[in-house]
Amino acid sequence: MSNVEPIDRVKKMDRDGNYFVPMGHYALSNSKNIHLTHNPKLSIYGLGSCIALVLFDEINKVSAMSHILLPRSNTNKEIKFPHKYANLSVKLLMEELLNHGALRGNIRAIIVGGSKIFDFDNNIMGFDNTSTVKEELDSLKIQIIKEHTGGSKGRNVFFDTKDYSLYVKSTGERDFKRIY
Amino acid sequence: MNNDYIKSEGFQLTPEQLDVLKEIGNIGSGHAITALSKLLNYEIDVSLTSAEIIPFWKIVDLFENPQVEIFGIYSEIHLESDLSIIQIFTKESLINLIKYLNEDFNLSADKIRIIEDLDDLSLSIITEIGNILSGHYANALADFLSIKLIPNVPIVALDTLNAMLNGIIAKYSQISDYLVLINTKLAMKDIDLNCVICFIPSLNILENLFNLLNIKYDINL
Repeated sequence: MSNVEPIDRVKKMDRDGNYFVPMGHYALSNSKNIHLTHNPKLSIYGLGSCIALVLFDEINKVSAMSHILLPRSNTNKEIKFPHKYANLSVKLLMEELLNHGALRGNIRAIIVGGSKIFDFDNNIMGFDNTSTVKEELDSLKIQIIKEHTGGSKGRNVFFDTKDYSLYVKSTGERDFKRIY
Repeated sequence: MNNDYIKSEGFQLTPEQLDVLKEIGNIGSGHAITALSKLLNYEIDVSLTSAEIIPFWKIVDLFENPQVEIFGIYSEIHLESDLSIIQIFTKESLINLIKYLNEDFNLSADKIRIIEDLDDLSLSIITEIGNILSGHYANALADFLSIKLIPNVPIVALDTLNAMLNGIIAKYSQISDYLVLINTKLAMKDIDLNCVICFIPSLNILENLFNLLNIKYDINL
């Protein structure tokens, strides 16, 4: 594990001790190493065409969420925010979990997002994001145990690392619903 | 001299260049707002235009209440490269505007939760308002720069600002971690209308702009 702290990992908790993941960033919670029984929620408010990717190992108590914007990078330049891209984020997030003691065979995935807010024909960003994340997970043999994707509404989502449950609220709905 | 630059690694703009962008925003929004003001026959207050260069993940921080549901009217302009105009109205604002233009409309803002709750006439009123604003905005820019700018028919959505900006930010952040936003706030007391016209040029457009205006630039893509 490198000593350099990645710039795109969210370390700052909000007042309630939860992580809020901005675009192109990720958050990780490793409950095993924390003596205090603190189980943060990992959340993204206002998902449109972006994807919230949750990877977790329930047995080793490690979970992470990334906020993906685009299917894949098309630049040769140095990429400062790899979690912007589906093709990079999936791999990196898995490696982070493994670095923090997760076992490859235990890792499960949940994906949320990828909607089409503005309804014009060539707006396939959300769809592209979703399918690329799925392909990448598939190539790493990570099982997707739940997805809440597509549609035309924005979503708020949070993952509770206490019991590995996931809640979603689509725009227009009043309350969060547990989907996993 | 280097201190004059607003440093953002690989993408620098001087205060003068930001002023030019502000001016471009003023010209565009000025024409757009005059057109709307004529249509509605009311005076519109315009607060100053701001031009900012900001990392992609911080853009939502520029707006108040990104979690509140708002109406967004989105138009794209394809030139050799892209630019986008998104008009952001509070829900109440646009409902007030529809009521003003269509006396038969009697739904209150809290009855409207999704875009499908609106009838076709209201939706086409909104699209037309969007058309007028983005059309005049683009025309003014085109005249000023002597180039051709034709916006697409705008698309209306009702969602949180966060979710709405997601796809737009994603599109532009493919080439750079920094985006330029030129925002103009407008308000109308008589109809209780609040709106932000947000103009997002792609970095290629900025290069074109500065070239056309003969301004030295150093956008290191």
